[in-house]
Amino acid sequence: MTRLLLLLAVLAGLGGVLGWLAPPRADLAEFLPPGRTPASAFLLRELQSGAATTLLLAAIEGAPRAELARLSRETAAGLRASGRFGFVGDGSLRLEESEQALLFRYRYLLSPETRPEAFTAAALRPKLEALLDGLRSAASPLLARYGFADPTGAFLGLAAAWLGESHVAAEDGAWFAPGEVPRVLLVARGQGAGLDAEAQRLAIAAFRAAFAAARPPPGARLLLSGPGVFAAEAAATIERDVRRLTLLATLLLAGFLVWRFRSLAVLALVAVPLLAATLAGYAAVVALYGSVHAIALGFGVTMLGVVVDYPILLLTLRRRDEPLGAAATRIWPTLRLSAVAAAAGLLAMVGSGLPGLVQTGIFAGAGLLVAAATTRWLLPRLVPEEARLLARPMHLSLATLRGRPLPALAVLAAAAAVLLATGGPDRQRDLAALSPVPAAQQALDAELRGQLGAPDVRSLFVIGPMATEGEMLQRAEALGAAAQALVARGLLTGLDLPSRYLPSPALQASRQAALPEEATLAAALREAAAGLPFRPTAFDRFIAAVAESRGLQPLDLATLAAGAPTIAARLSPLVSRHGAEIWGIAPATGVADPAALEAGAAGLGLPSVLFLDVKLELERLLAAYGRATLGWALAGAGVVLGLLVLGLGRFGRALVVAAPIGGAVLITLAVLTLLGEALSLFHLAALLLLAGLAIDYALFLAAGRATPGEAREDATEDATQDTTLGAVLTCAVSTLLTFGMLSLSETPVLHGIGLTVTIGVAAAFLLACAFSPRGPQRRPGRGS
Amino acid sequence: MSATRRALLLVPFAFPALAAEPTLEQVMQGLAGVRARRSRFTEDKVIPELETGQPNEGTLLWQAPDRLEKHTTWPIDERVAVAGGRLTYERRDRGVKREFALAEQPEMQALVEAVRGTLAGDLAALRQHYEVGFSATPEGWRMVLVPRSLRVRGAVQRITVTGQGTELRGVNVEGGGGVDRMRIAPAE
Repeated sequence: MTRLLLLLAVLAGLGGVLGWLAPPRADLAEFLPPGRTPASAFLLRELQSGAATTLLLAAIEGAPRAELARLSRETAAGLRASGRFGFVGDGSLRLEESEQALLFRYRYLLSPETRPEAFTAAALRPKLEALLDGLRSAASPLLARYGFADPTGAFLGLAAAWLGESHVAAEDGAWFAPGEVPRVLLVARGQGAGLDAEAQRLAIAAFRAAFAAARPPPGARLLLSGPGVFAAEAAATIERDVRRLTLLATLLLAGFLVWRFRSLAVLALVAVPLLAATLAGYAAVVALYGSVHAIALGFGVTMLGVVVDYPILLLTLRRRDEPLGAAATRIWPTLRLSAVAAAAGLLAMVGSGLPGLVQTGIFAGAGLLVAAATTRWLLPRLVPEEARLLARPMHLSLATLRGRPLPALAVLAAAAAVLLATGGPDRQRDLAALSPVPAAQQALDAELRGQLGAPDVRSLFVIGPMATEGEMLQRAEALGAAAQALVARGLLTGLDLPSRYLPSPALQASRQAALPEEATLAAALREAAAGLPFRPTAFDRFIAAVAESRGLQPLDLATLAAGAPTIAARLSPLVSRHGAEIWGIAPATGVADPAALEAGAAGLGLPSVLFLDVKLELERLLAAYGRATLGWALAGAGVVLGLLVLGLGRFGRALVVAAPIGGAVLITLAVLTLLGEALSLFHLAALLLLAGLAIDYALFLAAGRATPGEAREDATEDATQDTTLGAVLTCAVSTLLTFGMLSLSETPVLHGIGLTVTIGVAAAFLLACAFSPRGPQRRPGRGS
Repeated sequence: MSATRRALLLVPFAFPALAAEPTLEQVMQGLAGVRARRSRFTEDKVIPELETGQPNEGTLLWQAPDRLEKHTTWPIDERVAVAGGRLTYERRDRGVKREFALAEQPEMQALVEAVRGTLAGDLAALRQHYEVGFSATPEGWRMVLVPRSLRVRGAVQRITVTGQGTELRGVNVEGGGGVDRMRIAPAE
């Protein structure tokens, strides 16, 4: 016993050292696959670190309108003061004095209205008349301020084009969402990459602190959304879920095992292979990849739930007065075959190509083999000879299930019929459903985006890679011109181009060239103002500004970012830098048919311009990984069958073992279909785990009869069968307790795995019983 | 008691209102007492870049606590209505109608709060936006409002409001080198 506890302490210590040397990485980005096409590579990189990932959407509700407006203003002020956000948008969005000055200075270089004909007397005359009319109105202070220096209205036109597109009603310095329930909206863009969990956590904390500092009245709520919140929320939800469910499952499992073996020591014995397996899996992944992803660790440990079976089988199958070592030697061939076959079944995960799943597969595979070895060689040495660790005998009416292949085949036929009739479970095409983010949080995100008029960017054009900012902007302008044809065909309604906020240096230079000479402009103005009550000097500021504009250095991104934060905040999500390369992003609006637009975009023939529909691309990506995984799963199944034939010596016996395994998968798929579950990669992983468990049940139940060196008396035979059945039932109940808990999880992925394994284990156990040979005599109700 | 004696007894009460200059607080209190009013105005804008002034006229409507409407009837038809923090601008002759938050237009807000704060007799609101100077003679009072915000001062340097008792007589707005003079009289 002391030795056992000592060993556990050593294993735990080793685990601690390993975790300290190579701590698990929580960076979601590393769990995602690298892209296979330029489009998917760009997409995945943007998903991981693009500007869109740092967006935080917020709503405040649960208070009267005036109070909400105050909360919005004060929270926004707090956010700006925190220095953690590059941009904070609330209803008070307007250009600051210095920003106005900068944009005003560059107005003729930025305005698309700057053309030679705009400065002729004929074009100026109506502008001057409109100015005069405006000066008579109540808006005269505003017009007097800009009108004489900019009678063509270039600046006000720009401001309206840049800022006047908000779909949200600003009221009292806050954005009120449309709808019955008063709700104000806020947008903030954090600094740092979106999936950098720590930066996101700090940004979210800053948001909550700013809200709390605004002294919300009781009942007022802050709702937060955005990729950053998702990352944090996902991590928190999984952690909370796993902790709660693991605790519950561990307690249930421990209670069950203690009851079953009437001993506390059994818990320590079960823990040894599990701990050793976890250590081995962790070490294997660290050796291959340098670190373990936290999610792979979580899934890996979950899959190692199988190895709890090994010590249970050893202890339950041990005969009265048989030394544990002898029992281990006796069951070793079966145990070895079971572990190797289960590890081979994980082949599909390794072959999927998804870094996260590959790590999980390696983790679980290495763990399985080490757990089997530990059970065989280590466990017997840990238990003193005199220790009486025997399973409580069970009175099994379940024995009637044995050797009834016909009903089992009928059930399998029904399952196959369900699958054939329905075409099998839907494949999960929506990446959102794979996301560990709870559905409610995803719904909130969609709602806030809709209300802000900032729908999730779905269809976009990618411009690049370009060497310079100027080239990128110039290509964006070319795209803008070329896309008019697509707009005319109704494929999209608009394109938000980076060049909309900042024209390329070439275009700015051409606008400078379009500006008239001082004398020409003065003459045109004189002619245009004929008969109007303007003083001769009225437009001196205009003439001077045009002259100055002709000599300005074209505006670039760095100057814009430094001097015009509001406009730069609009532009920055549309520009992406990666090393020395610069990319432009142009989200398309009003896209009804992305596939048609993709075809149309391909016909534009613009080099370095790529159309990308996020949903379409992700679906293709998932389908590709799904196909790869499925292929490897089939290969894995082939390998497992081969191993069984090799290990059992006869094809017929291998088939008896393989039937419950394949059958359990079949039934699980049918039940999942009937439950309306859409199949994701994680379900597939769960099916592999399930196959591993089913191998145990089938092998041990099939081997129960003909263990070498076993007495051949009928009574013993029957007793052995009962013991084996009891052992496998103990394993199945243990698994059901653990994974049944998981199926209660609110995290879609965990729920999917839990549900799949729970259904599958029940099916596998019953099928293994039904397919296993029945003893020649059966004495119902018999116990010892 | 004779009528004369009765009148004499009232003299001490009537006296301050008749002869002494009212204080700012008294003027504000008097203005606050008028819950609704309707006035006519004539306005002449002098803009330095223009050779001629820009005259116009119309009506002003006030409804306590915060509704103000300036309806220009000549030479253009224009309505500016303020209620709470919202401003509605309408030009029927152009088919233009726009509504926005007063806070989005600081220049407009400066003008609106000057007239509205005065009519409401809300000295605290006025002081929130302006430095308030005050002088009075037996003939009337005069309030000089200087915007506190630097940004607003770029467009509006000074607003002078004059009145008599509880009546508003004029609003002069100086800014951008020009001046806008508004004369106000009660409408019948």
